[in-house]
Amino acid sequence: MYEVRNIAFSYSRRKVLRDVSFVVSPGEAVCIVGENGAGKTTLLKILATLAQPDSGLVMMDGQDALARPLKYRRQLGYMGEAPALYEDMAVKDYLEYRAALKGETKKRIRRRVGEAAEMCAVSGVMKSPIRTLSLGMKKRVALADAMLLRPRVLLLDDFLAGLDVSMRNEMGATMASVAAFASVIVTGHEIGDLAKWSTRFLVLSGGLIASTIPAAGLDAATVAARVENALKGAKA
Amino acid sequence: MNAAIITWRRTVGMAKSLFSTALAMAVFFAGAGVSFAFALEMAEGGETPLAVVWASAVSPVLPVLAALLAMDSWSDERRSGRIESLLTIAVRERELTFGKFLGVFTLAMGAVLAFLVSSLAMLSFMAPGALANQTALSFVPGLAALMLQGALWCAVSVFASAAFRHAAAAALTSITLTVLAPRGLWFALMAWAPQGRMAFGEMPLDANVFDLASGIVSTETVLTYLTLTAFALFVSSKFVAAVRLVGRGARALRFSTGVAVALATALAVAAIALFHRTDTTLELPLAQHSGQSFSARTHGILADVRGEIHITAFLSRKDARFRQVGHFLRSFAREAESAGGARLVLRFVDPRWDVAAAERLVRDGAHEDSLVFERGSRKAFVPLAGGFDERLCASAILRVAVPPKRGVVYWTNGHGECSFRAYEPWGMSDIARNVAHYGYRNEPLDLADGEDVPDDCALVVVAGAKSDFSRAEAMRLDSYLRKGGRLLALLSASDAPGIASLLSGWGVRMENAPLKGARTLSGTDVIVSEFSDHPVCEPLKGAQVILEKPLSFTPSAAVDVAGADRVEYTPLARVGDVCVAAAAERGVGTGDDLSLRPTRIIAVGDAAFVMNGQLKMRGNANRDFFLNAVAYLSGTDAMTEPGTEASRLVSGMDRAGRVRFVLVSALAFPALLFVAMAAFVAVGRRRQ
Repeated sequence: MYEVRNIAFSYSRRKVLRDVSFVVSPGEAVCIVGENGAGKTTLLKILATLAQPDSGLVMMDGQDALARPLKYRRQLGYMGEAPALYEDMAVKDYLEYRAALKGETKKRIRRRVGEAAEMCAVSGVMKSPIRTLSLGMKKRVALADAMLLRPRVLLLDDFLAGLDVSMRNEMGATMASVAAFASVIVTGHEIGDLAKWSTRFLVLSGGLIASTIPAAGLDAATVAARVENALKGAKA
Repeated sequence: MNAAIITWRRTVGMAKSLFSTALAMAVFFAGAGVSFAFALEMAEGGETPLAVVWASAVSPVLPVLAALLAMDSWSDERRSGRIESLLTIAVRERELTFGKFLGVFTLAMGAVLAFLVSSLAMLSFMAPGALANQTALSFVPGLAALMLQGALWCAVSVFASAAFRHAAAAALTSITLTVLAPRGLWFALMAWAPQGRMAFGEMPLDANVFDLASGIVSTETVLTYLTLTAFALFVSSKFVAAVRLVGRGARALRFSTGVAVALATALAVAAIALFHRTDTTLELPLAQHSGQSFSARTHGILADVRGEIHITAFLSRKDARFRQVGHFLRSFAREAESAGGARLVLRFVDPRWDVAAAERLVRDGAHEDSLVFERGSRKAFVPLAGGFDERLCASAILRVAVPPKRGVVYWTNGHGECSFRAYEPWGMSDIARNVAHYGYRNEPLDLADGEDVPDDCALVVVAGAKSDFSRAEAMRLDSYLRKGGRLLALLSASDAPGIASLLSGWGVRMENAPLKGARTLSGTDVIVSEFSDHPVCEPLKGAQVILEKPLSFTPSAAVDVAGADRVEYTPLARVGDVCVAAAAERGVGTGDDLSLRPTRIIAVGDAAFVMNGQLKMRGNANRDFFLNAVAYLSGTDAMTEPGTEASRLVSGMDRAGRVRFVLVSALAFPALLFVAMAAFVAVGRRRQ
C-alpha cells in the first residue's frame, strides 16, 4: 500500500501544495490532473525524493518512505516530463548501464533489459543510437528505464505529452500492463487517453485533491467528461 | 562503490565520443609542448634532471586539462535534466561524484602519459643527448607528483561542474580556482608582503611538483593534496545533492548541509595544520638523476659545521634559474638537517622587489645572481652565472666556517693577456672570483721585472698573450716549470710564437688544423663534447665546452723521453680527430721517487673561453673545465665531482633545432592529434 499523507510544499512564500493525501493500491493506475501550475510535477518530484515537502508523509507498507530514501528509491521508478537520456548511447547500452547503476547483478541485467524492452516495444531499436530516435521512441526508452527493475511504485510525469494518437495508445497500454505489478501514479493533460488506462483520477486544484473520480468499469468518454467537469468546477 | 565504477566507465566511454575531448587533449598537448620546450631551453646546461624539467613543465597546464575534461561531467547532467533520473535511483551522490572524478582523472592521466611518451619520442629524434642517462624509472616520481596534483585539479573541476549548469562557466570557475586564484594570491603576496616574499622561494604549487619529481617526498605535501582532494569531492557531492534542496521544507536539510561543509572545512584546515607540524621528508634514492645527491665531502662539511648559517638567494624571481636554486637550497637545508650539523636558514631576495635587502647585500659586496652565505660577520658569495653545484656551496659554507688557505694563482701580464681584474666581457674577473672561492689568491705576475715565479705559486696562468715573451721571461717560466711548476696556457691564433716554442719544449705542439664537421651554436664557435678520461675532463662527459675558433694540438718531439724527463702527452678534448685541449706532464715515470713534483701543463686552444662574456652563455661547461684544470694543476681534487657533471641536461639542440622542436611538439603534433581524435569521433558517430 502506497499512501501520501498531508503533503504540503511551498517555494519561498508561494504555497504550491497545501494538504495532499491519497492512497494507491498495488495494481492501480492513478492519474493526477490539474491546470498548469497546479503542482502535479512538484508532487511527483516530492514522491521521487527530488524535493522536500514542508510537511506530510509518504508511507509505504506503513513506513515513512522519505525517512529512508535509499531503501525507498530501490522500489521506485521515475520518468520525468522530458526524456533525459544519453544521446550518444545505443538503446541497449543505455538500458544496461542504467540497470547496472541501479544495482542489478550482472547475470540478471540482460534479462531485465530484455523484459523492459519487450514491454515498452523498443526491442526493434536496441542497437540504434538514442539521438536517432523520435520523441515517442525516446519516451518509450525512458519508460523502459523507469521500469527496469520492476519498481513497486512508478511515477510518470506528463508522459503522453507530445505524442501522436497511436503512440499515446501504445504508451497507455504499456502503462496499464505495468500496473499489474506496480502502483502507478501518472500526471498529464490528455484526459481522454488517460481515461482508457487509469483506474482513478485525482483532480489537483488549489494545492488540494479537489475531487476523486473512479474510472474502473466506466467507458473512457464518460470518465473524461466527469474529469473535465470536475476540473471546471475546481477552477470555478 | 559499484555505482562509482559504473559511472567511471561511463565517463571515460562518453569522452571517446565527444569533440570537446579531442579539443581538450589538443589544447593540453599544445600548452604542455610549449611549456616543455621553454623549460628545456631554460634548463639547458643546468643540473635539473630531464624528468623534473618535464614534470614541472606539464604541471601548470594540468589544471586547464582537468577543467576542460570535467566541465561537462555534472553540468551537462544538470542542463539536460538527467540529474533527476540519476538522483531517483538508490545510489548516493558521493558514489556518482567519485565515479565522475575517477573518469576525469583517468582521462587526464592518460593524456599526461601520452604526452610523456610523445615528448620523449620527439626528443629521441631531435635531441637524443637530452635522453642520456635517463631511464623510464626516473620519470616515475614526476608522474606520481602530477597524479597527486592532477587528482586535486580534477576534484576541483568536478566540483565546479557540479556547481554550474553551463560547462563554460564550470571550466572558467575551475581555472579560476586552480590557476588564477592561487597564482594571483601568490603575486599579491609577492607584491605586498616583503617578509613572505623573502621567506618563500618559488610558488608552492610549482615547488611541490619540482620536489616530488626530484624524489623528495614530504608527508605534509602528499597528505595536504589528498586531504584537499577528498574535501573537494565531499563538497562536490553536497552540491549535487543540493538539487533536492528546493522549497521551504528543505530548510533543515540546507542547514545541515551547510554545517557539514563548514565542519569538513574546519577538519581539512586542522588536518593540514597537523600535517605541517608533523612533516617528515623522505628522499627517494634517485641519486644520479635528481641532481641533489650530495657527496660524502659535502655531508661531512655540513655535519662538522655548527651553528646557524644564513643563505640568501640574491636573484630575480623571473630568472630561469630561480626554481632550480630554490629547490637546490631546500634540498641543501634538508641535507644539513639530516647531517645534524649547521642549521641553514634560507632567504630569497629579489633585487627588483626587496630593494632595502638588496642594497644591504650589495653594500656587503654581493652581486646580483649569487648566493650569499653568512655566519656572523663572515660572508661568502657564490655566483650563479654558468651554473653552481653543491661543491661550490659546501666550499662557501666551509669558508664562512673555517676559511681554507691554498696557494696563489699567478696571472702573467705585460703581453696583452686578459686581465683577471677586468669586469668587462673580455675580462676574466668572473672565473678569477670562482678560483678565489676555492681558497686561492689571484695575483698578477710580471716576469719582466726580473723576479722569478714566487715559491707560493700554485700555478701560472697565461691567458692569451698577444705579444711575445722576452727570452728572459721565457727562461724564467721554463725554469719554474723545470722545478715542477704548473702552467695553464690559454692560447689563440693571434698569440705570439714565444709561448708556442716554450710549450713545444714541454711536449705540446700548436697547430691550426681545420675542424671538419664540427657542431656550432653561432657559426664561429665550436661545440666540444668529446673528452678523454683525464682527471680534468672525465667529470665533464656528457657536457659541452664552447670554444671560439680553437687552435689544435699535437704531441711534439719532446714527448716520451725516458726516466725523470719522460713527458706524457694527453689530449683532453677533441673535435673529431683534432685535439683542442691537451695536457703534458713530466716526471710521471720516476717510479719510486715520490718526492719529485711532476711538472704539469695544460693548453687550451682558445684564449677567450673563460672570459666574462663567454661564461654568461648558458649550456657550456667552460667554467668547470677551467676550474678542474686549476685543481689538477695545483694538485687538489677536481672541483667538479665525477657523476655530478654527467647529470647536466644537455639537449645539444641548436637554435634551428629548438624552433623545430617547438613547432613539432606544440603545433604539428597537437594539430595531428586533434584531427585524428576528431576523425575517430566523427567515424564513430557515422557508424551509429
